[in-house]
Amino acid sequence: MKNILKITIMALFIIAGAGAISGADACLTAKANHDDIKIDFFYNGSEVSVSGFSDPDVDLIVKLTSPEGHQALKKKGKTGGFLWMNVGELKFDNVPNVYYLQSTRKPEDLLPAADLDSNVIGFASLERHAEVGPVSGPEEKSKWFGEFLRYKEHNNLYYQTDGGFAMKEGGPQRHYYMKFAWPYQAPPGNYDVMVYAVKNGKILETATSKVVVEQVGAVKTLADMAKNNGAVYGILSILAAVVSGFGVGLVFGKGGGAH
Amino acid sequence: MHLYLPVALTSVNILMPVGLGLLVGLLSGLFGVGGGFLMTPLLIMLGIPSTVAAATDSNQIVAASTSGTYAHWKVGNVDFKMGIYLLIGGFAGGIVGVQAIKILKATGNADFVIKMTYVFMLGIVGVYMFIESLQSMKKAKAAAAVAAAPAPAGQSAFGRFLASLPLQTRFEKSGCTHSLILPLFFGCFVGVLAAIMGVGGGFLMVPVMVYILRMPMHVVVGTSLFQILFTCIEVTFLQAYSNHSVDFVLAVLLLVGSTFGAQIGAVFGRKLKADQLKIYLAIIVLAVTVKIVFDLTLTPSLMLSVGGGH
Repeated sequence: MKNILKITIMALFIIAGAGAISGADACLTAKANHDDIKIDFFYNGSEVSVSGFSDPDVDLIVKLTSPEGHQALKKKGKTGGFLWMNVGELKFDNVPNVYYLQSTRKPEDLLPAADLDSNVIGFASLERHAEVGPVSGPEEKSKWFGEFLRYKEHNNLYYQTDGGFAMKEGGPQRHYYMKFAWPYQAPPGNYDVMVYAVKNGKILETATSKVVVEQVGAVKTLADMAKNNGAVYGILSILAAVVSGFGVGLVFGKGGGAH
Repeated sequence: MHLYLPVALTSVNILMPVGLGLLVGLLSGLFGVGGGFLMTPLLIMLGIPSTVAAATDSNQIVAASTSGTYAHWKVGNVDFKMGIYLLIGGFAGGIVGVQAIKILKATGNADFVIKMTYVFMLGIVGVYMFIESLQSMKKAKAAAAVAAAPAPAGQSAFGRFLASLPLQTRFEKSGCTHSLILPLFFGCFVGVLAAIMGVGGGFLMVPVMVYILRMPMHVVVGTSLFQILFTCIEVTFLQAYSNHSVDFVLAVLLLVGSTFGAQIGAVFGRKLKADQLKIYLAIIVLAVTVKIVFDLTLTPSLMLSVGGGH
């Protein structure tokens, strides 16, 4: 009888635990308001908001990135002791072109370094994750990654902040809402949105969403033609320039303008 | 109001490129320069990638120089014969210059050579034009005061050397006689430098025509624009075909301003004296030189930049 009671109690614990986990799995949701940002002639950036439901007592980290890749940039240095010039090229590997991160608190206060690194959360983890070359050692890598961050932030392609979440409490779930000012500098492509629910130094759940940025209409036609049919594009550009030059010349010519 | 640029992949306020085009077109119509040495850095400051800025600038210069050449041709200020010889030399020089850049890039010295060429050529041209124009303005004043008859023009050793060259030809429109070798050689020389510097070469060609070919300033402006027109047609095509870096939308915005600017410049240019034109151009060239020297010596705000372009 005792054994039956023990088994029953254990079974209840297991069921309750599983319920908690499955409840958590079902809890965190993420939706980007723009799953398709269209670039037309009047596009000047956009706004991407991420919202969903989470457990009421978790912290949230929202990461929006483009796929990781390789980037080559010219580095400046002194020539002849006083002239600033491009003195070579630096290659940055395992870095996304766009990296946006917003969290309810500082990521370092939410997760241990190992978890931050394995999920590439925060600029410090991104630095450890990135490969930079050619550099002489860790110090030079750190220096140039710092410059890389400044370059990216200057172009509005990298961004990290904490706070700025709007929460609506009430009931077993909490509704969260945050937004990124989406820069026009972010090129067309597919972007991943990853939301982490964090509690007691652990990632409890994750939820994902997508943002697609694409050129449409005449913008797409021109961009495609420039890329795939350069000769025709070049001739059309020249013809348009010559015709408009003559056109303006004729308009002004009617007014006279003797020497 | 903002407009998205499909090749530059950036968004700009329409008024910025139109205003920029107007300013550079004005200079183009006034002085016969394409304005590439001015426009490209300004476009980069607007956030346009350097490769797209240089290529698109060529495209808009096609419009501005068409407009300017037409305006100057109508009043008889284009020496087509001289322009064609300079153009032939310029094309040959461009090919040599492009090869030189390839070699320099392979050896890793391209950036240094390009920037130093900019500083020295702009500096030399600017200082020389400035001093020479000042001197000739002073001379003109003195001559007017004493109403003195012009002194018999003794030919310099350089002048005698030029006169001794074979294939002497009369250039009616410019009112001068030169060996055909001269425009071909100097066209080639400017073509090499223009290719190295990534510009049309108007600010180099104008002094060559004024000081070496001794052409009248107003014919220089029209002829320079004629030569720049064809150089930039070639460059635009090559940039669009090889580098896919011409942004047509940006070019349209720039040329809206530059074609009008060129016409206004041509009208103003006819009202200014040759020495005034030269001294204003000299001041602009010197200002750009000083800006480049500052850029080279002051610590840059960003230590990384996208590759390509100059």
